[in-house]
Amino acid sequence: MTVTDARAPEEVSLRRILPPVVTGQEVVLLAVLAVLWVLLGIFTPAFLTAGSIGPLLVQVAPIALIGVGMTFVIITAGIDVSVAGMIMVCAVVTARTLVGADVPAVVAVALAVALGAVLGSVNGLLIAYGRVHPIIITFGTANVFTWLGLRVFDSSTVNNIPGTLSFLGRGAAGSTLGVPHSFALTLVAVAVAWWFLRYTRAGRNLYAIGGNQNAARLAGIKVQPRLVSVYLVTGALAGLAACMIIATGTSTLDQSVGAGKELQVIAAVVIGGTSILGGRGSVVGTLLGALLVQTVVSGVTQLGWPTQLGFLFVGVFILVAVGTDLIRERARRRA
Amino acid sequence: MTDTAEQARPTPGPGATPRLQMRDISKRYGGVRAIRHADLTVAPGTVHALVGENGAGKSTLIKILSGAEQADTGTIAIDGRVVTIGSTSDAIALGVQTVYQEPQLFAELTVAENFFVGREITRGPVVDWRAQAPRMLALLDTVGLDRGVAARPLGSLSIAQQQQVSIAKALLEQASILILDEPSAILTDAEIDVLFDVVRRLASEGVSIVYISHRLDELFRIADEVTIMRDGETVSSQPIGELTVREIAERMVGGAIAEGHRAPAEHGDVVLELDGLTLAGAFEDVSFELRAGEVLGLYGLVGAGAAEVGEVVYGMRRATGGRMRLVGSDRPVASPSDAKRRGVRMVPANRSTQGSFSFQSIAFNITIGSLGLLGRLPAWVSPPTERRIADDLIRRLAVKTPSARQPLAAMSGGNAQKVVLARQLVERPELLVLAEPTQGVDVGAKEEIHRIVADLAAAGTAVLVVTTDLAEVQRIADRILVFRAGRVARELPPTASQAELLAAAAGAEDEPVRQEEDR
Amino acid sequence: MTATTNPAGERGPQPCSRRPAWLTPGLLRDRTVLLLVLVVVLVVVVTVLDAVGLTSGRFTTDYLAAALIGYVPLALLALAELFVITSGRGGIDLSVGSMVSLTGVVFGMLFQQQGLPLVVSIVLAVAFGALLGAVNGVITAYFGFPALITTLATYYAYRSIALVISDQKPISGPEISEFYGAAKSVELPLIGHLVPLVPLGVFTFLLPVAVLAWFVLNRTTYGRKLYAIGTNDTAALWSGIETRRTRMLAYVTAGAVSGLVGVYTVAQFASARPDAGTSGSGMALPAITIAVLGGVAITGGIGRLSGILLSALLIVWLNASILLVVPGNEGAQAQLLALGVVLLGASLLSNATIRRRQAGGSGRREVPGSVSGTAT
Repeated sequence: MTVTDARAPEEVSLRRILPPVVTGQEVVLLAVLAVLWVLLGIFTPAFLTAGSIGPLLVQVAPIALIGVGMTFVIITAGIDVSVAGMIMVCAVVTARTLVGADVPAVVAVALAVALGAVLGSVNGLLIAYGRVHPIIITFGTANVFTWLGLRVFDSSTVNNIPGTLSFLGRGAAGSTLGVPHSFALTLVAVAVAWWFLRYTRAGRNLYAIGGNQNAARLAGIKVQPRLVSVYLVTGALAGLAACMIIATGTSTLDQSVGAGKELQVIAAVVIGGTSILGGRGSVVGTLLGALLVQTVVSGVTQLGWPTQLGFLFVGVFILVAVGTDLIRERARRRA
Repeated sequence: MTDTAEQARPTPGPGATPRLQMRDISKRYGGVRAIRHADLTVAPGTVHALVGENGAGKSTLIKILSGAEQADTGTIAIDGRVVTIGSTSDAIALGVQTVYQEPQLFAELTVAENFFVGREITRGPVVDWRAQAPRMLALLDTVGLDRGVAARPLGSLSIAQQQQVSIAKALLEQASILILDEPSAILTDAEIDVLFDVVRRLASEGVSIVYISHRLDELFRIADEVTIMRDGETVSSQPIGELTVREIAERMVGGAIAEGHRAPAEHGDVVLELDGLTLAGAFEDVSFELRAGEVLGLYGLVGAGAAEVGEVVYGMRRATGGRMRLVGSDRPVASPSDAKRRGVRMVPANRSTQGSFSFQSIAFNITIGSLGLLGRLPAWVSPPTERRIADDLIRRLAVKTPSARQPLAAMSGGNAQKVVLARQLVERPELLVLAEPTQGVDVGAKEEIHRIVADLAAAGTAVLVVTTDLAEVQRIADRILVFRAGRVARELPPTASQAELLAAAAGAEDEPVRQEEDR
Repeated sequence: MTATTNPAGERGPQPCSRRPAWLTPGLLRDRTVLLLVLVVVLVVVVTVLDAVGLTSGRFTTDYLAAALIGYVPLALLALAELFVITSGRGGIDLSVGSMVSLTGVVFGMLFQQQGLPLVVSIVLAVAFGALLGAVNGVITAYFGFPALITTLATYYAYRSIALVISDQKPISGPEISEFYGAAKSVELPLIGHLVPLVPLGVFTFLLPVAVLAWFVLNRTTYGRKLYAIGTNDTAALWSGIETRRTRMLAYVTAGAVSGLVGVYTVAQFASARPDAGTSGSGMALPAITIAVLGGVAITGGIGRLSGILLSALLIVWLNASILLVVPGNEGAQAQLLALGVVLLGASLLSNATIRRRQAGGSGRREVPGSVSGTAT
């Protein structure tokens, strides 16, 4: 029965005890993305130029960045639909601060992140200790956050925002060697999150919580603090994403900031192969999912088709991505 | 009883002091004595079988040993030292590990992670796989699993492999006593061979194993000694070689006489006829006839395949071979709703997950299976009709409730079971399949349910009772088919002794002929 | 082995209480009663505020009646969510707003551009909505996709189709302008001089649907099956219920109702706007919020029409009252705060009472599904 290992047991290869580095879903996504880019490159020669890819990456950055936090949340079998509200609050407060006081960029970013973390921890505390389904809690807080944001807007737009945050924007100041800083920052976040989920105790425990919360509690995992932390991280990342959104916009911030982002983020996460039922998922998949969504949307525009048609493809991608995952899952269970 | 107790001498094992000595253990739950003066002595490095009927006190004794419950009186000594086991963590600290039938594992995590979840060895925040891995891989070797499974998600393993993982996980902490609670119930024969290899290897390494099983035949392949429990007492304890399957079965049931069985009655036309029916992986080549007014009992241990026969008849599963003829038609039963149309009703085995609409009213629970009767127009529900039907059944089945509006969740097990049964009796079915009809039900309600079944049969319903309850099948069946390992092992009349039934189900292959001659 | 004994059963099925039932705190546990109390409290408080002159406008019955124009779509979509969420297994429909947009555009095309008769156009639009819902239903019930995924995908897809086929321009014209009358306020016949003018849509759209839905939920076998699959899908299967078809029909119903709302919004705005149901945060999130507030359990099997109608009424009147007390833009914003706070308060409160009841041991609820918390 036992297949004896040629090597001594002390020489342990991590490859044999950890899950594969790349999941099947990620390979598929990468392939689809490659095919799309090649096709778009052929049909719209402008697509594969730096002038086209750069803005695409800038637009992907906030979605993928919040997607990192949302991946954590969904791995624990939760969900956060208050992201749009958090973006709005962080964006308007930061923008007002920039207009009112000439603070340096670091302070502005720190403010946004801290504010986001506070909002996120409100979600987390209510969910972990109120024991109401996360979708209900975050529907409620979404309304409250939006109210807060609109109060700060005070029924007008925020005008004449200085370019303090332009290092995160889409202009020349926003990139180095053609790589947008915001996207580079997102890559760093994805890398850290990947490492966290794969190698740390706290990260691995998130999967256990999502897989079977009760068993996780019995195994001695501190479920409630962990739950608070994932919503807190999502909020903090929404704060950072809000800075990117300010930087990529004009000098005016209007009240529609953030609208619809929560569903875009969730779409990126589920296309990336994270199971909405919890217990399984990866941040690399989320990054690829966000790239795919933005590629489709941008590609449709560049092909001269109606912009809105892109979202039809996004819908189809969600179904195909989750469908293939379901089929693979059923095949695996049968095996 | 006394002379068998005389034999209960602790058998000295290879070492001088026994690994485990539980003496004079008693435990009450409220007014009920779960165990009385029970003794269990296990020598180091031996496999000690613990057997008894359901309710004999095995699980209470095991709970006391694993720290889940505390004994009222008695002492526990491990390696000669008297210990106090006040909690499960006490037990683990003392080297007592338990592998339960339904282990709490994580399907999405890898096998390796399942070992350490919640007690990871870390270096800073990082799980130190290099520190964890050697021990885990060695344990995979111990339980006979390929090291390659370490990186696979647990959910992708077979049930048997998952069980091997949970045994290995139990060995992660220092284990000197390993309790295996019915480990073979869900395994195939080949998988049991693997399990036995593992158990033997552990014993040879000095681990003492307490092995609980209903499958008596397999005990002879694996156990060194056997302790038999009955009615909360340990009846005997001795090397297993001194006994036969039949002798063990007789001691388990004691001198229990059948509490009476049904008087033979006239039966009508054939309602259900199986001919070589097979469901791959569950049962094969099952043939019988069931007539109107007859109660046929399918008795077998958990996993023997009897339960699945009921599910196929009701259309929950499709047979993979053979023929089934239902009320004169050969057409296979496509679904439960198809079965209902053809006059078949079934009470499922698991009341809470398969039978209860817990926060809905009793009336809802009773009428949900017969929606077509609730109004004069099709698809219409008339509340007076609903109330009338519900009240009628509440009265007929003597369900104790102030009102049909009470939610089902507020009822005791016995009353809830009557409601679930009532759902299938709104119209008298041609064929009623009952799976474990009195599991988790108090004695009084059990009596009443048995009476209801008898009345139904008298009115002409064919009844198929699938049960693991020995006394029950004897009491209500006209004929009993004993299932073993997916096949009909014997057909016995209800007048057969309990020991005989148990021996047939548990695999006494050495003495099959005598009963055949009786018939 | 698997049998669960109910601790409550040992103490007899009838919990004895010395106080009359209507005095117990359990009263507020009934969501319908709680909402009714809140509606009454709201009306009383604002009337008092009005009397002491703290409101910017007059808080009259006419004002309350006029506010009902926004009540119709909100209540109808919450009703759609009632069917879907009650069907259990994580049932939810994020696509209702998109279906409103798409069916509105299709209705505009049929009625204005194709010149079909009004009734035919409405019937076709509703049927088209049912078809859109059927897509959700088949993918969810038959292919086994989580409803959140299915309807997130169709949210994007339907919204996109609505914008593309209309070329992102609203459809308007003389016929549609005339149809505006369907949403305006009218005097009721016979008793009209006694009561305020009520928006016509309440009678032409909401009332028939609400009556029909009440009968479907409470007086038909379909209603029983719906509650059964939502309460315990496995037990429903064992009871011989076609669980997949029952669940799919819940999504079809949501689609048809959304179709009707699509027609209503055309009347309300006097044009078929392709973003009618999706602009801003869309119509789906408020609809789900109203449904949950109305006592629909997100885990399925629990939910009553009265709760939906009352919670929508509470929110619509609360919003109208806020506008009187907090004038201008601030008032519009405060509506969001009110909705969020009421939702959070109600679900946390009911969860706390359930847990206290569980801790007291006087009746354990076995809620199917593995969600850690429930709101009822």
